[in-house]
Amino acid sequence: MGINTAQLVIDMKAAASAELNADVCAFRGFSERQLEAIAKQTEFVAIGIATKQITEETKDFFLDAIEDMSLNFVKTLRGLILATVEKVWNALVGVIWKALSDVTGLVLPVPVARI
Amino acid sequence: MPLAPNYDKAVSDALNAANTEAMTLFASVSLGVQKYDFASRADQYAQVIGKLDALAISANARPVPKNAVTDKVNAVLDKTLPITIESSDARLPSVVAIRKIAETVTKMRDTDIKQGLSTYEVIAFKQQASIYFDQAITYENFLQR
Repeated sequence: MGINTAQLVIDMKAAASAELNADVCAFRGFSERQLEAIAKQTEFVAIGIATKQITEETKDFFLDAIEDMSLNFVKTLRGLILATVEKVWNALVGVIWKALSDVTGLVLPVPVARI
Repeated sequence: MPLAPNYDKAVSDALNAANTEAMTLFASVSLGVQKYDFASRADQYAQVIGKLDALAISANARPVPKNAVTDKVNAVLDKTLPITIESSDARLPSVVAIRKIAETVTKMRDTDIKQGLSTYEVIAFKQQASIYFDQAITYENFLQR
């Protein structure tokens, strides 16, 4: 008995999609929250400076923070993507190794990244 | 194949507790405060800042995977989501966010000591901290996989 390649492709797509669909929803929700909150904070700080409700003591701190929080938003998004790549990889390897094990009757060790 | 650090329930729990304590502090000064009664708030500031600093150390102490695959994925991400390379030792976005929250509360405390706080400034500090808490909590929860 050989590997049913067509079925393997279908199973791999299904495994990857299951992981990706859930995570893309999470990315979208996080991004929308962050972009809205950073935009709101930017507007709030701008109005506060213009109306002197934000004082000289804190003005530069809030302005610098808008840049910092935007940068860390991108870093967070990258971190989330890296975790998703790991999940998709594991899902794909799981499907492929199961197909190999089913055909060969062997319990094959799951590959690990070379460090 | 690990590409991201392991989920740590202790870090996640401490982060949620710090969030509650920080939001309680913001609520306690939300109407604005005068500098002359700062002493009555000093301990609360110290509690929040101390816990955030300790949490940043714990969260940053976890091993972070580094291998050929993470290098390749990061190289791809550098093209689409470029970020400035920092000299900071913080390797995780949640650690950066926690440190920034501590800086935010510290700045609020220092402003409180110097001139008191207006309602407007308290809202600005709170919104800033909330954005960083969202980054840290989202990332830490995402590691539960």
